[in-house]
Amino acid sequence: MTADVMIELQQVSKLYRGQKTPAVEDVSMTIRRGEIVVLVGPSGCGKTTTMKMINRLIEPTSGRIMVDGSDVTSLNPTELRRRIGYVIQQVGLFPHMSVATNVGLVPKMLGWDRKRIDARVDELLHLVGLEPGQYRHRLPRQLSGGQQQRVGVVRALAADPPVMLMDEPFGATDPLTRDRLQNEFLRLQEKLQKTIVFVTHDFDEAIKMGSRIAVLGDRSSIRQFDTPERLLSNPADKTVAQFIGAGASLKQLNLRRVDAVDWDEAELVRLDDSPTSALRRLDETGEWAVLSVDNERRPVHWITARDLDPHQDNLRGIGGPATVVEPRATLHDALDAMLSSSSGAAVVVDDGGRYRGTLTIDRLMRAIGEMRETERHRDRPVAEAPETADEPGADAVPVQRRGARSPADRQTP
Amino acid sequence: MSVGTLGSGQLADAPPSRWRALLRRHATMPLVLAAALLATYLWVGSLALDDIERRSLNAGHLFRVTGQHASISVMTALLVVVIAVSAGVLLTRPALRWLAPFVTALANIGQATPAIGLLVLLSIWLGIGAGTALIGLVAYAVLPVLRNTIVGINQVDRHLIEAGRGIGMSPLAVLLRVELPLAVPVILAGVRTALVLAVGVATLAIFIDAGGLGGLIVTGIKLQREPVLITGAVLTAALALTLDWLGGVIADLLRPPGLD
Repeated sequence: MTADVMIELQQVSKLYRGQKTPAVEDVSMTIRRGEIVVLVGPSGCGKTTTMKMINRLIEPTSGRIMVDGSDVTSLNPTELRRRIGYVIQQVGLFPHMSVATNVGLVPKMLGWDRKRIDARVDELLHLVGLEPGQYRHRLPRQLSGGQQQRVGVVRALAADPPVMLMDEPFGATDPLTRDRLQNEFLRLQEKLQKTIVFVTHDFDEAIKMGSRIAVLGDRSSIRQFDTPERLLSNPADKTVAQFIGAGASLKQLNLRRVDAVDWDEAELVRLDDSPTSALRRLDETGEWAVLSVDNERRPVHWITARDLDPHQDNLRGIGGPATVVEPRATLHDALDAMLSSSSGAAVVVDDGGRYRGTLTIDRLMRAIGEMRETERHRDRPVAEAPETADEPGADAVPVQRRGARSPADRQTP
Repeated sequence: MSVGTLGSGQLADAPPSRWRALLRRHATMPLVLAAALLATYLWVGSLALDDIERRSLNAGHLFRVTGQHASISVMTALLVVVIAVSAGVLLTRPALRWLAPFVTALANIGQATPAIGLLVLLSIWLGIGAGTALIGLVAYAVLPVLRNTIVGINQVDRHLIEAGRGIGMSPLAVLLRVELPLAVPVILAGVRTALVLAVGVATLAIFIDAGGLGGLIVTGIKLQREPVLITGAVLTAALALTLDWLGGVIADLLRPPGLD
């Protein structure tokens, strides 16, 4: 049990000087190794204060905070912070230092040699899709907002800290970029298995990112601390339900990922194929559209019989837009993609943008149906036999959100 | 992608364009100064000078007083930078922040006192000479640098400081690697102001026997020798503008990259 615990808050309070009511009062919380715990709550509820006490940017007034088995107040705060990654909404890249210098700051402070730092910087930039040769010497202002935040995240990862604190890390980016950064970060986390404390005021983000979510009320009091699934289907009280907001069932689309449902296969045609052959394929298969792909098997257009002009040599520039989703995207993302696609289907692609399958609205509907079924299944025993609670139901939750979930998660607390 | 290529293009162009911009911005002043000095030289050369004028307006004397003047101004500036920047750094530390208004008020008094009065009072206390003049000038010029250091450090984005602390930089590292570099442009603007002030006020140093270009001006006024007065005034102005120009060049060279 204790070996599994990474961060532990024990009756932590914070009273700012000159204020009567504490900003954080008597908070206790246990965070396991490798999970993402999201602190979510209205602004001013003390969630950021709670997080900053973990790396002692704010000193607790009372209580104890253990990180990896040692009391943080017994450690030198500067050295403690070098072992805890820190990402903030404002990114906080130093504008007068290159990307490489920014990322290499912590390793340098830890006394790594030049060569090792350079190698690490390149490795990290690669990890978030920023070509080192092109980006390492850039200054932060020469990057887009999304790129800056990627650099902010890898700077926190530079010395491979076991724990990361993230304060609304994607809050300042536009919705599209935020979505991409979230997916990217979840992909990273699958590999890295960090213990993460993630602060946000956006409940949808909390559902998407969290292994467990702590809904906080005034003075950082914990209203409910549970998995996203159970939070949505079983809010502890009215306030939590209010915070979850309307459309809880639609939000459940955020709980399932594209790779957890079955995909269909589209009829693929190559861009160099002739319109006649495409037409033949349409006739033979009875499909109403074929998907054109380039030489790398990256989807280009949905082509229907109506788009085809037999006088053309190939299929370039023909058809309506094909929208793509990654396997790690949520069904919510997929629904979004479907609605903006000309065919009503989202194309599933891998990291390189290559075709893997398609997701149709029918499949989506079926997945939603299954989710509601399991929910009903789970809710019934709660109503009929409270003492057995949702024991079987919780185990039966079919929602496999991501590989990062530790097995302990599936035990009922 | 287009943003990316644009960025790399700017980066590749950065070094040459930086020098070109530097040249464009700073080339005019030396030319103007050279022209003014040349004009004064030609004008004085065209006059028939009497004995008194000749005693002041010869190369040896002019170089000596200009040198005195420049050295007392530059020494003032150096002392002011050391004193005011360290005071400014201390006064922006969380523990001492509350002191800042008091110290700024004190520095304000130093500057609000008429400079000549300050120098004379100091000379009564400390005796006459270059040392006293230096102390008076420092007291007089400390305010702009102090104020700019405090403002310069306080205007650094709070989130950057927090990010620095959050990733485990020591308070000293945050100061040296984040706060000071980002405050450099503002601090140097204060130093330039202090330099120009010092050059102007140093003309008063002659009253406590500390030499400098003030001697020419006083002689010119007292003995009604206009060429001496005008030469003294032109040289003082030229020195002030030269030091200001140098300060501008240095400020541009030290400006951290990545700031607009």
